[in-house]
Amino acid sequence: MVHLEHVNCILGGAQALKDVTLHVERGEFVFLTGPSGAGKTTLLRVLYGDLKPKSGAADVAGVDLMRLRGAQLPELRRKVAVVFQDFKVLPERTVFENIAIALEVRGVSSVSIDKRVRAVIRALDLEERSYARCGELSGGEQQRVAIARSMVVNPELILADEPTGNLDSDLSRHLIELFKQFNTYGTTIIMATHNREVLSWAPEARQVHLVRGVITEAPPSAAGWVLDTKPIIGGRA
Amino acid sequence: MSTTKLFLRGVADMRRFPLPQLCTLLTVCMVALLAGTGLLILHNVQSEVLRTQGQARFQIYWKVGADLTAVEAQWTDLKRAPGIAEVSTFTPRAALSELMRGLAPKNSGGGLAASNGANGTSGASVGEDFAWLEGENPLPATALVSFNIPPDEQPEPWMGRMYARLKGLEGVEQVTYNPTQLTLATGWIALVQKAAWPALGFFALVVGLVVGNTLKLMMLARRDEVEILSLVGARPWFIRAPLFANGVVQGLCGSVLSLFCLKFLQTWLRSVLDVPPLFLKVEFLPLWQSVALVLCTTCVAGLASLIAARK
Ligand SMILES: Nc1ncnc2c1ncn2[C@@H]1O[C@H](COP(=O)(O)OP(=O)(O)O)[C@@H](O)[C@H]1O
Ligand SMILES: [Mg+2]
Repeated sequence: MVHLEHVNCILGGAQALKDVTLHVERGEFVFLTGPSGAGKTTLLRVLYGDLKPKSGAADVAGVDLMRLRGAQLPELRRKVAVVFQDFKVLPERTVFENIAIALEVRGVSSVSIDKRVRAVIRALDLEERSYARCGELSGGEQQRVAIARSMVVNPELILADEPTGNLDSDLSRHLIELFKQFNTYGTTIIMATHNREVLSWAPEARQVHLVRGVITEAPPSAAGWVLDTKPIIGGRA
Repeated sequence: MSTTKLFLRGVADMRRFPLPQLCTLLTVCMVALLAGTGLLILHNVQSEVLRTQGQARFQIYWKVGADLTAVEAQWTDLKRAPGIAEVSTFTPRAALSELMRGLAPKNSGGGLAASNGANGTSGASVGEDFAWLEGENPLPATALVSFNIPPDEQPEPWMGRMYARLKGLEGVEQVTYNPTQLTLATGWIALVQKAAWPALGFFALVVGLVVGNTLKLMMLARRDEVEILSLVGARPWFIRAPLFANGVVQGLCGSVLSLFCLKFLQTWLRSVLDVPPLFLKVEFLPLWQSVALVLCTTCVAGLASLIAARK
């Protein structure tokens, strides 16, 4: 699903990613951990085509990121959904509209949109807020809207950048359960977090540790789940 | 989602930013009005020149108190003269009543009383009765004569000769004509025609910049939405089509609005200029020019919005 080889990335004169090599197979659940400023966001931006690596080889869902041309970016984004810490929902639009937008851009018929959006709204327990403007929702509800928007399209890969960063512990746990559930349906998930508690809720997930743009721990996906929540510093397993 | 739906969404979204939309609409309207006024002047000058092309006009003034029967006989002769196009004649009485008619609606009270006082006749209202002037009418008999200049003649020397002939008529005090009027008008129209293309290009540029700028501002206001659309995999056209529709509607509404303003302007100009001695009938733009104005503005606005919406 994700294949990065010796990827380097420069941001604002500093090297944000250094010689990053990472392979994630279909159906995996991967935590991207590391302190603030380690390069987690940068790595995710590379994965959804927002940032072009300076050198190396990068392939996500069959799209060559090093040779990303105009029409390929929408193709990539239709396979890869992104959830952010700050939700990125439209406050002026309703819950329904915010979720439907992802289907609209794909040219899905309005009958089908109606059905699928309702199903996700039900699954995420947002039924009572369907026609509320997102600006009126709590943070947890807004994040659920953002997750609903990413899940409604059945993406191959979901990238989540500290999705629980603005939420309290209970809500965070609930959201991690949602991601895990979605993962069992076959969606690959890569989630950046620096919250130990979050890691403990999905102990079966693989952890990839980043420090100052360098991957310090990344067992090959074939090696199975890493159960230890403490990252191993200084070298690859 | 179909293109039609995207266009409709773009139009519906205009409601969400009413103030910048209104400002753009007014600016597009103003600029189109400016261009329309230019076209209006050009059109009217052109039709005036065409109408009077090859014609020479003389204003003849007889001496005050000249024998009216003799003058009227001269008018009959004039009307039969070879090459005559048009003769308008005014007896002193007709000229006076024309003058009074021009004055009457403007000052029905104080103004006339004052003029009466100046003439030393108090109490009588001129509007009702100006018989007191009959005997000593200060206005001369006049005639406005237009000739078709014979095609095998040079206009200027021919007009000089005609001037001498008219001046020599019995009882004529003065003849006026403007020998350079013709060449002036022709020269002016050539100049305007030369300037028309650059002016229209400039107009298109201004419309484009104005509309493009508003849409840029709108894109800025909506950059969260654009970012999200792009994140969920919208193709460029999905993002740009609503903005394109917005620009087209702006151009269309602005230019149609400007046509209404132009019509208003023309009606006003006509009421101001279609009076003696000008008798300038300011016409409205011909249909094709009105349509062209609307189409051009709309196209430029649409194009500008496409360019503004480019990443
Ligand atoms: N737009 C940017 N311009 C310049 N430097 C940046 C930019 N974004 C991030 N960086 C730098 O890149 C490094 C990695 O940042 P980031 O990926 O956001 O870290 P994380 O998400 O792990 O907290 C940091 O040193 C940060 O200062
Ligand atoms: Mg970050």
